Amino acid sequence: MTARPPAADRICRVVARESLGGPYALLTFEHEEVSRAEAGQFAMIQPATEGELILRRPFSIMDTDPSTGRFTIFLKAVGPGSRAVFDLREGENARVLGPLGHGFAAPQPDERLFLVGGGYGVAPFALFSKSLRVASSPFHLFYGGRSASELPLVSELEARGIRMTLSTDDGTRGETGRVTAPLLAALDRAEPGRARICACGPEAMMHAVAKIAAERGIACEVSLDPWMGCGLGTCLGCVVKIQDPGEPKPKNRPACTDGPVFDATRVVWPHGDHR
Amino acid sequence: MTATPSLSVEIGGLKLKNPFMAASGTCGYGVELAHVVDLSTIGAIVTKGLYMAARDGCEVPRIAETPSGLLNAIGLQGVGIRAFVEKVLPELRAHDTAVIVNVCGESIEEYAEVSRIASEAEGVHALEVNISCPNVKTGGIAFGTDPKMTHEVVSAVRRASRLPVIPKLSPNVTDITVFARACEEAGADAISCVNTFLGLAIDIETRKPKLAFGTGGLSGPAIRPLAVRMTWQAARAVKIPIIGIGGIANASDALEFFIAGARAVQVGTMNFSRPNVYTEIEAGVRDYMNRHGLFSLDALTGTLKFPR
Repeated sequence: MTARPPAADRICRVVARESLGGPYALLTFEHEEVSRAEAGQFAMIQPATEGELILRRPFSIMDTDPSTGRFTIFLKAVGPGSRAVFDLREGENARVLGPLGHGFAAPQPDERLFLVGGGYGVAPFALFSKSLRVASSPFHLFYGGRSASELPLVSELEARGIRMTLSTDDGTRGETGRVTAPLLAALDRAEPGRARICACGPEAMMHAVAKIAAERGIACEVSLDPWMGCGLGTCLGCVVKIQDPGEPKPKNRPACTDGPVFDATRVVWPHGDHR
Repeated sequence: MTATPSLSVEIGGLKLKNPFMAASGTCGYGVELAHVVDLSTIGAIVTKGLYMAARDGCEVPRIAETPSGLLNAIGLQGVGIRAFVEKVLPELRAHDTAVIVNVCGESIEEYAEVSRIASEAEGVHALEVNISCPNVKTGGIAFGTDPKMTHEVVSAVRRASRLPVIPKLSPNVTDITVFARACEEAGADAISCVNTFLGLAIDIETRKPKLAFGTGGLSGPAIRPLAVRMTWQAARAVKIPIIGIGGIANASDALEFFIAGARAVQVGTMNFSRPNVYTEIEAGVRDYMNRHGLFSLDALTGTLKFPR
């Protein structure tokens, strides 16, 4: 296990906000520690104003800039907690705790990476692409959603020069169908050698990707996204079933501290194999 | 010249540098918070409930946010008392805070055995007896909603330990003073007041409970007036000190509990979102004491001017 950047709880300012249409936005905060986050780590965020909501919500780090002490999240307003963060305006303050959790493993020499992002789960791959470039690791992103409106980060990712294959269930953008179809095609075409699949998105998508990886004997990491209360491993609200080698049965482990990124072979999927 | 008000308190033989503790189930074993919170700002850490054996807890979902509150059914997931003593306590006792072990059991014998092991360990300062967890099928609340059982469990823990014994009461009873008296008669040194209120939140689309366990325990600011009222009732019923618990989020909330009759307080749910709230609470309480010319918190405890 490598040493991770230390976490800190700070009240910090929203320094930039960009609406991406509908429930999507990019928010940039000033926070020294989170600006050194690794891909796959997250921060717990809530507005600094007092309100009826108690718990912060977890947000994946989409980008960092350690030189300015800033980081950016890509978020979708889905419930009252994420809506409150979505509604923050430039200059307003938020409580930000992070960086938290274990991210994706650092790229290995000669490793080829297949990144699979579903919906707003694509966020950590923007940050990951930076370290993959530094390591000269070849990678390709598969970005899927139900329809074109669920792929709001495409131009942001294109601007970063990230090579990707888009897919939508309804065919309104990219290939028609699930994100796993172009992934399978790419795996069929891929040259032999060391490979890893990294997935972040809806549980059913990650489970399907994990099965593909297992069938082909490819390493696979998944970023799990259960309901999270504290981000510190104290509320134990976000446990996932993890089967460790040598253990007689799976154990409930907090995704916030033991994950959120796990080796897919250790994950006991909550809905079994029927999904 | 103003003397600095003292925040040190003594609760049933337990000396604390300040009366602000972290409640069981909201701070892990303390060490989880240490990388973002200076534990020396906290008077005492009350551990997650510990049985003899490790437990895996309830299925997910385990938590649901409700208006100004949190409904939970974690089910006392934990490492067990021996693993705590051997693997966690050495790290925890390196911090400058008191350690209170929250003792659980499925039987009176188990409560006594966990208490004995905790008491023999170096660096445990008191025992909080969990007779009030609503989220386990055996033990927990069953011992805290029958005064005879409460008396038996507290007596057994009392016999097993020389440490201060602090039962944590359930609010899910008609008259909390009956249980406070049962604890006092059984030899308790103080009382934690209160655990979570039994609640139910429903997903109207699926018509299923929002928590996998079904019901859960409600905590957070939503329960504060209920907990303040119960602290007030319990404090008038017994001579042993009361530790007030329920939705404390700032100094003003903590002060309500002192005025109602508490000699110390625990912060619970707010540890999840504001783990550094202790410094704010301490500063606010100091400011209040200065404004009101109070040199010790004992001078504030139980000073409620209730209408006759």
